[in-house]
Formats: sequence, C-alpha cells, structure tokens
Amino acid sequence: MSFLYLLLQLISAILVAPLFDGIARKLRAKYQSRIGPSIFQTYYDLFKLLKRGRTKSHSASFIYQIAPYLLFVTTAAMFCALPVTYGSDSIFTKFSDIFVLIYLAALYRFIFIIAGFDTANPFAGVGSSREATVGFYAEAVAIICLIVVMLGSGSSNLPYIASILREGNYGYFVPSYAIASTAFLWVMYVETGRKPYDLAEAEQELQEGVLGEYYGKDLAIIDVALMLKQFSMLGFFLILFEPWSFENPLLALALFLSEIGVLYVLAVFIDNFGPRFTMGKGMRTSMLFPLGIACIALMLYIIGV
Amino acid sequence: MQIIYTLFLLTSLLSLLLYKKPLLAQKVGFGLASLLSLYAAIFFFSNLHETLTWKLPGNFISAPLFRLDSLGMLFSFLISLIAFAVSLYSFDYVKFYEKKANLAVFASLFNAFILTMLLVIASDNVFSFMLLWELMTLISALLILINDGKGASKNVMIYLGIAQIGAFCLMVALLIMASFAGSFEFSGFDELGISFGMSLTLFVLLLIGFGSKAGMFPFHVWLPLAYCQSPSNASALMSGVMIKVALFAFIKFALFLPHTVEFGYILLFFGALSCVFGVLYAVVSNDYKASIAYSSCENVGIIFLGLGGAFYGLGAGLPSIALLGFIAALFHIVNHAVFKSLLFMLSGNIYTATLTRDMDALGGLHTKMPITSIIFFVAALSICALPPLNGFASEWITYKTMLLGGLEEGVMSRFFFVLAIIALGVGGALAVMAFSKVYGAIFLGLPRDDKSIQNAKEVSTLMLLPLCLLASFCVGLGVFMGDVIDVLSKIVLSFIPATHFNQDEFVSIPTVVIVMLLCSMVPFVLFYLFKSNNTPSRITEPWACGFIYNKNMQIGSNSFTGDIRRALSFIFRYESEMKMDGYFSKVVYTKKIHDFFWDKLYEPIIRLVMIIADKIGIFQNGRTNFYAGYILVYLCLVIIFAYYYL
Repeated sequence: MSFLYLLLQLISAILVAPLFDGIARKLRAKYQSRIGPSIFQTYYDLFKLLKRGRTKSHSASFIYQIAPYLLFVTTAAMFCALPVTYGSDSIFTKFSDIFVLIYLAALYRFIFIIAGFDTANPFAGVGSSREATVGFYAEAVAIICLIVVMLGSGSSNLPYIASILREGNYGYFVPSYAIASTAFLWVMYVETGRKPYDLAEAEQELQEGVLGEYYGKDLAIIDVALMLKQFSMLGFFLILFEPWSFENPLLALALFLSEIGVLYVLAVFIDNFGPRFTMGKGMRTSMLFPLGIACIALMLYIIGV
Repeated sequence: MQIIYTLFLLTSLLSLLLYKKPLLAQKVGFGLASLLSLYAAIFFFSNLHETLTWKLPGNFISAPLFRLDSLGMLFSFLISLIAFAVSLYSFDYVKFYEKKANLAVFASLFNAFILTMLLVIASDNVFSFMLLWELMTLISALLILINDGKGASKNVMIYLGIAQIGAFCLMVALLIMASFAGSFEFSGFDELGISFGMSLTLFVLLLIGFGSKAGMFPFHVWLPLAYCQSPSNASALMSGVMIKVALFAFIKFALFLPHTVEFGYILLFFGALSCVFGVLYAVVSNDYKASIAYSSCENVGIIFLGLGGAFYGLGAGLPSIALLGFIAALFHIVNHAVFKSLLFMLSGNIYTATLTRDMDALGGLHTKMPITSIIFFVAALSICALPPLNGFASEWITYKTMLLGGLEEGVMSRFFFVLAIIALGVGGALAVMAFSKVYGAIFLGLPRDDKSIQNAKEVSTLMLLPLCLLASFCVGLGVFMGDVIDVLSKIVLSFIPATHFNQDEFVSIPTVVIVMLLCSMVPFVLFYLFKSNNTPSRITEPWACGFIYNKNMQIGSNSFTGDIRRALSFIFRYESEMKMDGYFSKVVYTKKIHDFFWDKLYEPIIRLVMIIADKIGIFQNGRTNFYAGYILVYLCLVIIFAYYYL
C-alpha cells in the first residue's frame, strides 16, 4: 500500500508541477506589465515537445541518449525520498535519508555536467561549468544547515526528524534551528535556478545551456525532471522546517504540494527584483551571506544553545 | 600459508633469471602472479576470522615471527585481490613498455612488490617490519623508475625523501614503544605503561610515519609526481594497496597506545584537511592521472575521518562509535582499493591509446573505446560516492559515525566532528566536479586534438576482463552493503570492546535501487500514454550562434574550472599566460598551478637544506693536507674527551 502511495506522490507531483510553473510565468509577465501566456502554457509546451522529433549532435554518444532518463530517475527518486505519504513505519524509511537526497542531487549534477560535455556545444560546456560551480557554493551552505538539523534531532532519517518536529521535542524554540532555516531557504532558492543566480527560462549561456541540443521528448522529460528537482528542493525545505501536516496521506500530499506551489510561485517576487549576478563577483559575495548565517547557526549548536 | 610467500619469491627470482628473454619472463612473471594472487585471495578470505603464525625456517641470524590476525587477513585478502586484477591486466599492458624497460625486471619487481606488501602486513617484529617497510618503499621507487623519462629522478627523489622522513619518525616511534614494552615483538606491545604526553608524541610520530606514506595532507605532494611517473599498473598497486598497508600498520600500532580522545581530534582535523585540499587539486588539475592521484589524498582523508571517529570512541569509552568508525574506515579502505586501482588501470588504457595525459588535447574517446568508457563511467560514479554504488555506502557510514560523535556533549568533540562533516560534504561536491570533468573531457564531445585519438583502439579482452571484475565489485559492494558490514563488524569486534549496532537504522541501498528502477519506468509509461513522437533523432551540428561550428569552441578541462579557480584564487596561485604571435596565428594559453603547500612548506625546507649543504661543502675542498688536519683535530678532540670523561 505504501508503494502505491509513493507512486501517487510522484505522479501527482509530475502532474501539478507544470501548473505552478505556468502560474509563476503568468505572474512574472504581469509583474513586467505583459499579458503573458495562459497558466496552462507549460502543459501545452510539454505536449508539443512530445510530438516533435528529436535532434542529436553528431558528437553525441550514449550518455546524450540516456541522460534525460537518468536525470528523470534521479530527480524522481529525490522526490520519492521525501516522506510525505509515508511515515517511519514504512519500508521506504530506510531510503528516506538526508544523505541519500544530497547524493542523489550530486548524481543529478554529475549527469547534467557530462550531458553538457557530450553535445560539444560551446554553451553547453559553459553551462556545465556553471552548474558545477553553483553546486559547490550551494552544497557548502546546505551541508552546514543540514548538520544543525541532523545533530539537533539526532538522526539523518527524514521520517524520524519529521516526527520529532511534529511532537514538539525539537523545533523553532531552538535558536540554531531557527537560524539555519533562513540560510537553508536561501540555498534552496538558489537550487531552484532563478534570478539573480540563474534564469531557467531562456538564457542559453546560463545553466540551461546544457540543454541547448535537446529537443522533442528528450527535452520534455528533462523539463519534467528539472521541475521535479525544484519541487524536491523546496519539499526538502518543507520536510525539515515545516513538517506539520495531516495524518491522512492523501490530505498530507495535497497540502504538501500546495505548499511547494506557493513557495514556487512566491519565488517570482524575488526573481523580478534585480539584475543577474555574474559568476565571479556577485555570486560569491551573495553566497557569503547564507554561509555566514549558516555558520552562526552552527556555532550556536556547538556551544550548545 | 608460507607457500604463498615462497611462491611469490620464487616467481620473482624466476622472472629475473629469464633476463635474456623478456617476453617469456613477462608471460611467466605476470601469469604466475595472477594465479598466485587469486589463490592467495581465496586462501585469505576463507581464513578471514582465524589467526595464523609462522616463523622463518632455517638458520637465519634471527628467526622473526610472522603473524596474521583477522585484520591482517582482511588486508592480505585486499592486497591479493587487487594484485590479481592488476597482474591480469599487466599481462598485456606491459607490452607497451617493451622498448623502454626490460620486462623481466618489471615482472620481478612487480612480484617482489606484492610479496613485500604481504610480508609487511604479516611481520610481527620491529626489525623485520622496518626492513620490509623500507624494502617496499625501495621496490615501489624502482617500479616508478620503469617509466624513465624527463624529471623521473626528481619525482622519485621527492617520493623517497618524504618516505624517509616518514620512516625516520616510524623508527623512532617503534623503538620507543619497544623500549617501554621491553620486547621487540609486537605481541609484547599490548600493555604499554606510558604517560599521556608520551603516548601523544608516539601517536603524532606514527601519524607522520604512516600518513606520509598514505598521502595524507600535508604530505600529499608526492602523490601526483610518483603516480604520474610510474606505469599505470604500478600506480594502481601503489595507490590501490600500498597506501592501505600504511593505514593497516597505523591502525595496528595506534591500537597499542593508551587511547585518549585527542587521538580522534588529530585524525579528524587532518582527515578533514586532506579531504578538502586533496580534491581541490584534483578539480583544477589538467592531467587526468594527477586528478586521480590527488583524489587518493581525499579518500585517505575520508578513511582518516572514520578512524578519527573510531579513536574518539575508544578514548571516550564509547565502543558503539568506535565500532561504526572502524567499519566506516575499513569499508572505505576496501572501496578505495577497488575503484582507485580500477581508475589507474583505466588511465593506463587511455594513455596507451592516446599517448597524452593532457585533458585539453583529448575528447571523444568514447567512440573509439566504448567499453573503457563505460567502465570509467561506473568507476567515476563510485569514486564520487553516488548512490547506489560502493563509495556511497562507506561514506554514508562515515557520516553516521560523524553524526554520532557530533551528538556528544562538549564543545571540542562537536567542533571537530562538525568540521569533519563539512569537509566530507564539500569534498563530495568537489569530487563530482573533478570526475565529471575528467570523464567528460576525455570520453565525450569531439577530440580537441585530432592527432590524440586517431590511433586509439579498444584494448584487448584480457585487459578488459579484470576491469569488468573490479567494476562489478563497485556495484556489488554497494548493493550488498549489509553483508559487507556484517563481515567487517566481526573483524572489528575482535580488537575493540564488545558492543553492537542496529543495522535497521542504516540506509538500505537495495531500496534505493528499487525506487530508482521504479522511477525509470515512469517516463516510458508517460510516453506511451501521450503517444510521443518516437522517430529516430536527427543528427545535427552543435549550435554555435550561427557561426560555423568548430571543435575548438567546446569547453576544455582548463576553462571548465575557470570559475572555481577564480573564486578560490587565494589558495590556487596560478599563472596563466597568453601567447599570440600574429593576428591569424593560433593563440597559445599556458597555465601553471602552484601547489600552495609546496611553495610555503617544502620549498623553504629544501632551500635551507641546500644552504646548509653548501656550507658543509666548504670543508670538502679536496686538498689532502686539509683532510689530514681534520683527522688531527678529531684525534685531539677524542683525546680531550677521553681524558675528562673516561
């Protein structure tokens, strides 16, 4: 039964993710005084991509062909690792672990980078390089925040952490936890690939340059994988820092997805504020802030507050 | 059991005797070595939980005792297993060195190297240990010199220099321990009645001694020099198992000392530094063999983190942490031996096919060497500790140990364990960057220099066979993580206080595999439901903004790391130069990365030694009358000394 719920969790995320993406796009257009596409536009895009033929760079090897599926498998497994529809009594508890999630994200990054190399496209290579660098920045901050949570709750097991938080034995009354939540939200925002760190929609020279050569159903499946990755990153934040939910798996899932959607759409407001950062300067300085916040949280844990 | 060691010795001598017939010697030497090490691996594995002792027969000056307990059995098994794969691989690989060196000598040294490593593990006496230890270093130095070339002697001298610093510290530590124990047999070392300060000093000496051999930071400078210089099968053995011998000896001797938590802190600190700095150099290196070599430093760091947790647990009287820490360290030792020797052998495949080590000249090798490419992919995934392969399993247990340690009360322990987790996490992110770059730049895309791959072809089946074997170990050790932990915990419990752990709390890699397989079906179901377009892909030129595509437009390994090099420019001092002769001529970029620690730590010491040597040199002026004067002065001094003190 828990197996079916897990499948439901994955499928429903795949089904609703384009909707939130559409809402975010519409909202962004309104923000920029445009009319903007319909909120179902992302669905239309995906359907159209499914019906189109694929392209392949003449240099591409098997990595290029399997990369979309590997990316999808990784992000889907990441989303499955979030204990929304199952608790600590399920067989998937031993899979739902913070380190599994982090290393699945690393696997995603690995495949993303080599897929960029494989196309021999100049922008894809630059995109790979940026993805790797952003990963390095983000991972350093994320791991510090996660240490605070893991050590505070005493385990790296997600259902266990969620249950401890729900019971109220650990939570926002601990200063280190509260401070870590800010830095972690910041990192998760970076991971969702938005301005000022990235612009997921258009710009070829940014991270998405890796996908420059993909088309047809390959691109469709990568798009779904990207949305799933952003969902699992936001969901990761929610599980650790906002785990209160219903007992009933279906209601919990509905609440969880709508929470992710709200965060996803709210990110548009930050997205539209300023210019993009260049990799060398703005990125580094702006990542020093969350790093500083995370370090403060860590210090507080170490001295035992 | 003695028969294994004897046969290795005989094979070594036999291949040396066939000096005049190198091709025959190569067949005999490496063929017998692979058979022998296979037998040895089976033997050691079947006796894993037993203790065997033996003495040298005959009338030697001393009759040293050799002893293998279950930890020694594990390491002997590991050495034999990796030696089996490497010698099978060498059988064809060494033909590449036919013109450079005498294959008979190569085969002889190869066998002698395996033999000395096995004997170091087994030796149970200070003198035999030191003798065999130095012999192991010497033979490995000779193996490096097989690939003679520009700068070879300098690289070997740096390797030997650092090994000698280590051996000196080791000798001092072992003699002090022996004098306290009143015996030169290691079995008498159990009850050392020494003070805290002495035990800390001994620990630091042991750490320098074995850490320098293992490639721990800041002794990592010899790793890229020695491993890049030596033939790939030798670097596979050195990186795969020789540094494990150092780690084994470190565990063995450090356990004799009275345990304090400070041991754990020291190990955690240096482990964390090795973890981050090792992999940072792996990221920025442009030579794939140097990248792989630097990542040894990272992995040794991870092993030291596990050991740090273990020694902290022993010192603080928490055997459950000690058990997990030792399991983490031993598991990572096994894993590292498997994937690191695999990677070095694969680098041998690449080098024999392309004759270059510069990643900016390679690319697109997948089309020529598909199987090598796929095996490299698996090895790269497992060295980056990505699920569901073996690296992930051992790093997960290391994380678990660090978490348990970080939960302890006390600022010091929390600080060091937290530092360890950060280092492990950042190291993991950088390892992904390093190895995705290595794999992508070598195998994918288009060749950046057409000359490099035009003669490339897939290596022979005999060379691929051991590679496939080790690649399957990469998968197997990950998926059957639970069974491996059971075996290792039985070994660890033989030398630490009794305790237990609950494997239910561990992550289950089979579940990860099942979930991933399940997820992999979803896209195909969606394709079927929405009736996707399944026509074959249209082959196109890569898009280049409307310009005519040129393969030089693709990213190279140098530009790939540009952002991170700029971001970390306070550590990497690198000089890049652009040379342009004329408007239409090709622009040449050169880049030179300075090893910060070489410049700041080793360079001043070397300069100091040179100055002192120069000053001493004044006395050696070659004039006979001066030497007669020295003798006279010395005689006078001896007489004065004798008059007053005797």
